[in-house]
Amino acid sequence: MTIALALAVVGLPLLPALLAIFTSRARPLGFTATAAGLLTLAAAIVLAVRLAGGHHTHALSGFISLDALSGFFVFTISVVVALASFGSAAYLRAEEERGDLRPLQVRLYFVFFALFASLMLASFETGNLGLLWVLIEASTLASCVLVGLEAKAVSLEAAWKYIIISSFGVTIALAGTLFVYYAAGGLQGSPTEHLTWSFLFAHASALHHDSLRLGFLLIVVGYGTKVGLAPMHTWLPDAHSEAPSPASAMLSAALLNTGMYAIIRFQALAGIGLGRHYPGDVLLVFGFISIVIGVLFLVLRGNFKRMFAYSSVEHMGIIAVALGFGGTLGLYGALLHTLCHAVGKAVLFLTSGDLVLRYRTRLVDDVRGVLGVMPITGAALLLGALAVTGSPPFGLFLSELTIVRAGFAASSPVLVGLLLLLLVVGFIALMRAATGMALGAPPNNGVTTVAYAERSGRLLAATPLVAGLCGLLVLGVWIPGGLNTLITHAIGSIT
Amino acid sequence: MEGLSSLSTEGVLLDLAAVVILLCAFACLGSKLFDRYVAYYGLQSLTLAFAAGVVAQHNGEAGLWVLAAITFALKGVAIPLATRRFLLERFHLNRDVALSTGLSRSLIVGAALTVFAYLTIGRGEIGVALVARAVVPIAVAVILLGGLCMVVRRHTIAQLIGWLIIENGVFLAAIATIATFPFIVEAGVFLDLVAAVLIMITFVSGLAHQLAEASATELRQLSE
Repeated sequence: MTIALALAVVGLPLLPALLAIFTSRARPLGFTATAAGLLTLAAAIVLAVRLAGGHHTHALSGFISLDALSGFFVFTISVVVALASFGSAAYLRAEEERGDLRPLQVRLYFVFFALFASLMLASFETGNLGLLWVLIEASTLASCVLVGLEAKAVSLEAAWKYIIISSFGVTIALAGTLFVYYAAGGLQGSPTEHLTWSFLFAHASALHHDSLRLGFLLIVVGYGTKVGLAPMHTWLPDAHSEAPSPASAMLSAALLNTGMYAIIRFQALAGIGLGRHYPGDVLLVFGFISIVIGVLFLVLRGNFKRMFAYSSVEHMGIIAVALGFGGTLGLYGALLHTLCHAVGKAVLFLTSGDLVLRYRTRLVDDVRGVLGVMPITGAALLLGALAVTGSPPFGLFLSELTIVRAGFAASSPVLVGLLLLLLVVGFIALMRAATGMALGAPPNNGVTTVAYAERSGRLLAATPLVAGLCGLLVLGVWIPGGLNTLITHAIGSIT
Repeated sequence: MEGLSSLSTEGVLLDLAAVVILLCAFACLGSKLFDRYVAYYGLQSLTLAFAAGVVAQHNGEAGLWVLAAITFALKGVAIPLATRRFLLERFHLNRDVALSTGLSRSLIVGAALTVFAYLTIGRGEIGVALVARAVVPIAVAVILLGGLCMVVRRHTIAQLIGWLIIENGVFLAAIATIATFPFIVEAGVFLDLVAAVLIMITFVSGLAHQLAEASATELRQLSE
């Protein structure tokens, strides 16, 4: 039953790709994508509830393996997939009506969007670290087609940087996986078992030290490239700003977390094999560099999609810092932050899609008066920015508070102070841009008076914004019991 | 799975192959002409296929023979031919002058990286008394040299080949230490590699249509 659900979660997102063989119209493809997104989410919720009970499934000698941590990430990513497929339906329809995309591009978009979602979800469901690598690299490839989709010189440039830097990074992660595998060479068991996470976790204290240490460092640098940890983040703002906005939402809210998931798994191994402090310190260093870089570039405002991308760098840094603080509180904060940031950033990038369609610009200074022109989008922009910068009563406030408490529990008050200072600077920078865009009088160039889509299209675009913000609001005041159990069991499965 | 000992015939052969692979990486770093650059990559891959064959012979593993054959056909023949056919000939690329630093300087940096690989990896306890002890630092040096190729060469095709050299380095480290990943994983790695190269070739030709040179020096619009 659990296996059937797991397969459903991976298979359902592929439905629109099948339909894309027969049609290249954005409307039917968009509806299929939304339906597939919702079905995937439903399957993921049922799966997560089963896994939250501490249920652990292991099949095909570890090639399929699910525990509560997999359940948590499957749930998070499928929320993002559902939100982004609503956004895709609206965005692609508007682009098609305008003639900005050719039929082949529409077809390619839905095929690769489906593949991207399916491969990411699949990577949480394997227990084999080699297969995990294969799936993460494959999801990178699927997503880089989305980045280069518009086939303009800039988007090809972004796609090229993305594919070459991430492939480089992920290859380093392959070398890391190799050394971890080699570290298990002295153990009993079959070669396949030596690459299976649950086997390695059970024997983590017997792993060869030097090899594990080298492997862990290479893993952090390698998968860290995917996560967007500074200084390996350079592909991220380009890819996020040039991809179609719903694809940017998927990149920022789903793909980065996939890389983080891999790092969490390896951190659990290294934490036992090398002692808790070594991997924690490594993650603290990368985390703080990322927060500093993210915040600094937030201050330089220019292109709002790039700003949201740098905010993702900042948040990935915060998650890395939380993992570095460690302990139950740190892990709880990291996982809660992953979920909340995914929802918040998906909302912001979908908002940016509406803005790009309406204002035909990506520059902060050219966008004014969104609240007047598009009330729902404007409100979503303001509230989304508030949520992402960690203001109460949204979920990220709660998760950041948990991380701060974890920092005090790990008795590093100086680091906590630094973290808080950086968060404040990030808040000011992002809110200054968001209020400037949302408030004021709309520009007088006539662009804004023309609605970019018909009513049903705008309704489709507004649905994920409202749903996402409501979700964040709920998470800010009340963590549902099921989610709490899921996160607690997820922490239990890696400590 | 036990590694090769450094005194067996297979161990010596693997050692020699690793040295040739390292030399090929240096040759790539130092060559000015595009077709030589691609040819040296091809030679490196063929040597790698030979090395995989040596380990396969020693371990008597069918899966490893298959991988050696795939390496031979794909990395040794297909990728160099495809690069030459679809990119170099179609866009009349002969010479890659877009170096960000002088050739001799990049070779010196390459030598320094090789020494660095020996100092950091060679001293550890990885693979004592096994051929892996000698080969792993070489593999790490190849990885670093591939990275250096990507950094100093500004042309997109040169960066593509640089990435493939890194991939070869990882593969060399793999056959020297653990013989191979489980077959399914290894097959997946190859699939990813093929897909990545296909997508990269598409991007490069798209860029070549839009820009005169498809050189990464022209990729300057997105910088902040």
